[in-house]
Amino acid sequence: MKFPGPLPIRVTFALKLASRKMVWRIFPLLLGILVNTTVLRAQQLIDRTAADKQTLQLLLQRIDQLEARVKQLEAAKQQAPPISLPSAPAQTSAPPVSEAELQADNAVPERMDASKTLLRMRGFGDITLHGDSQRHDTTAFSLGQLNLFITSDISEKFKFLSEIVFEGGPDNIFGETRGENNAFGVDVERMVLQYSHSDYFKLAVGRYHTAIGYYNTAYHHSTWFQTTTGRPFLFQFEDRGGILPVHTVGASASGLIPSGHLGLHYVAEVGNGRASRSPITDEPVQNVVDDQNHKAFNLALFARPDAVRGLQVGFSAYRDLLAPVNLPRIGETIFAAHAVLVRSKFEWLNEALLVRHAPNGIPRIFNTPGFYTQVSKQFGSYRPYFRYQYVNASSAEPIFPDVGLRQGPSFGLRYDASETVAVKLQYDYTALRGQPAVNALALQVGFTF
Amino acid sequence: MRRLAGLLFILANAVFSIAALSLGSAPNSRSLPGPQIASEQNLAVVVNLSNPVQSLSMPELRRIFLGERSHWPNGRRITLVMMEPGQPERAVVLRDICQMNETDFNNHFLHGVFTGEVLVSPKTLATPVGVRKFVFNVPGAIGYLRVSDLDPSVKAVRIDERGPEDKGYRLHVPPRSSK
Repeated sequence: MKFPGPLPIRVTFALKLASRKMVWRIFPLLLGILVNTTVLRAQQLIDRTAADKQTLQLLLQRIDQLEARVKQLEAAKQQAPPISLPSAPAQTSAPPVSEAELQADNAVPERMDASKTLLRMRGFGDITLHGDSQRHDTTAFSLGQLNLFITSDISEKFKFLSEIVFEGGPDNIFGETRGENNAFGVDVERMVLQYSHSDYFKLAVGRYHTAIGYYNTAYHHSTWFQTTTGRPFLFQFEDRGGILPVHTVGASASGLIPSGHLGLHYVAEVGNGRASRSPITDEPVQNVVDDQNHKAFNLALFARPDAVRGLQVGFSAYRDLLAPVNLPRIGETIFAAHAVLVRSKFEWLNEALLVRHAPNGIPRIFNTPGFYTQVSKQFGSYRPYFRYQYVNASSAEPIFPDVGLRQGPSFGLRYDASETVAVKLQYDYTALRGQPAVNALALQVGFTF
Repeated sequence: MRRLAGLLFILANAVFSIAALSLGSAPNSRSLPGPQIASEQNLAVVVNLSNPVQSLSMPELRRIFLGERSHWPNGRRITLVMMEPGQPERAVVLRDICQMNETDFNNHFLHGVFTGEVLVSPKTLATPVGVRKFVFNVPGAIGYLRVSDLDPSVKAVRIDERGPEDKGYRLHVPPRSSK
C-alpha cells in the first residue's frame, strides 16, 4: 500500500499560522463535533432501549405470573384447614420435603367451586325450505329444531349432558298426527348423568339414545353434524314417524373390551322401552311411567380396529315386550348390523336392521327389514353425497301398519359456508307401495352457535 | 481558510459519526439474541411426574389426543393440554399424531362431546411455560413441549420405545422464529 508523501513546507507553515490565528474559529468546530456525537450517542441509547424493551416486557410478564402464583398459593393456604400440632417433641430439623409431596401441595384441587357455574352450553339450529310432490303438501319454510346442548363436569368421575330441543309442528307417531301445525313444543331429548370409572366401565342413567346400530348414537338432534338434511328413515325420531325406539329412559353401561388392536367396545342397556299402547296417542318415550314391569334390554358390540383408521363394525340386539291394549303381548326383537368408514374427508355408512314382532299366541311373525347406505366425499368446502334407503313393513304389521314399503335414492350437496354454518341442497325420490312415488327437494341451512 | 475549516468540520464530523455509530451498534448487536440455527427440534410428549406411564405407542398416543381414551392406567382422568392454534408445536401434534387439520380436530371434539364419548375438551394454553406448569400441577395431564423447554418438573414419555433424545424419534418441530 502506498502512503501519501509529506506536505510542502509552505503549506505546513500556512496551516500552523492559521491554526494559531483560528483557535477560536476551530472551537465551534469541536463544539459541533461534540454536539453531533452526543446526538448520535443518544440515538444509540434509543436503539438499545428499543432492543431491551422486549426483554423488559418478558420480565414484566414473568413478574405478573409469579405474583399471580403467589396469590394463588396464599389463597390455597388460607383455605386449608388448620394443622393441629402433634404432641410429640419438636424435631430439631424439618424432614426433607420430597418432590412428590411438593407436587401434591401444588396439585390443583378438583372440587366444586360454588361461586362458578359448571354449565357449558352450545346451540344448534336449522331452517329448511322444503317442497314435494305429495298431494296437499305445500312448499314452505320450516324452522327446524333449536337445540340447546348443555354439559357440566360435575367432578372427575361424573358428568352431566342434556339436549333441550324446541321444535315446531305436529308429532307423527306411527302415522298418527297430533298437535298443531305451527305451534312449538319443548322436549328434553337427552338427560344423562355419566359416571366414568375407567375406559372399561362407564355408566349412564337418564334418557339417552338407544345404542341400536350406528347412526342413532353418532348423530343426535342436530342437522349441522349430519352430512344430509335429515336422518335416514330407519332412524327417524319416534315423534317424526320413526319405527325404532330411538330414545330410552334407563341405564347404560359401556366401555372397552381388552382386545388389543381390534378395539372392541360394548354397550349394555336396560330401560323402559317404548310405549306399547295401541292406538298410540301419548308420548312414545316412557319418560316417567312405564306401562309394564318388563324392561327393554339392548346389547351392542362393535370394533374400531387400529389397522383401518375410521372403520367401525358392529351389531346390536334389542329385546322388549310390548303390551298393546286389546291385543296380545308382542315380543319385539331388533337386530342391527353396521359397517362404517368415517374419515374427515370421506364417509361410507352401511347399516341393516331387522325389526321382529312376535305376538303371543299367534304363529305369524312380522319381520320388517331395512337398510341404508350413504357415501360422501369432501372437496374443499363442498361435500356431495348419495344415500339409498329401504324399509319394508307388512301391511298387517301390528305396531306400525302405515309404514309399508319405502325405498329410494337421495342426492345432495353440502356446502360449509363457514366452520359453523352448512348449507345443504337435497333431492329425494321415495317409492311407496300402492302409492305414487314422492319427489322432494329441500334447501337447508344448519348451524351451531 | 474558512473553506478549509468547513472541510475539516465536515470530515471530522463524518469520522466521528461513523465511529460513534459503529461503537454504538456493536454492543446492541451483542445484546440481542442471535439467529436460531435453522434445524428442527424434537417435540416431547410430557405427563405429570406421578403418572406411572413411561412409554406410549403412536396409536395409543393418537387415541389419547383424540379423546378416545379418557383414563390413565392408574384411574386418573386424562386431561389433554394443547397449545393455541397457530403454534408450530400444535401443528406438529395435529399433523403427526392426530392426522387432522385444525377444523377437523375441532369438529372431532365437538362431535365427541356431543355424543358423550369424549368426556372433556382439551385445555388450551398459550405458552410452553403454561403447559409445563399445568402438567406439573394436574396429575392426569398430558401435553407437549420442545426439548429445549423441558425441565425436571414434568416427565417426557417415550413414543414407540424412543425418547425425545433418541435417534429415530418421530415428532419434530421447526425452530422458533427469531422475531
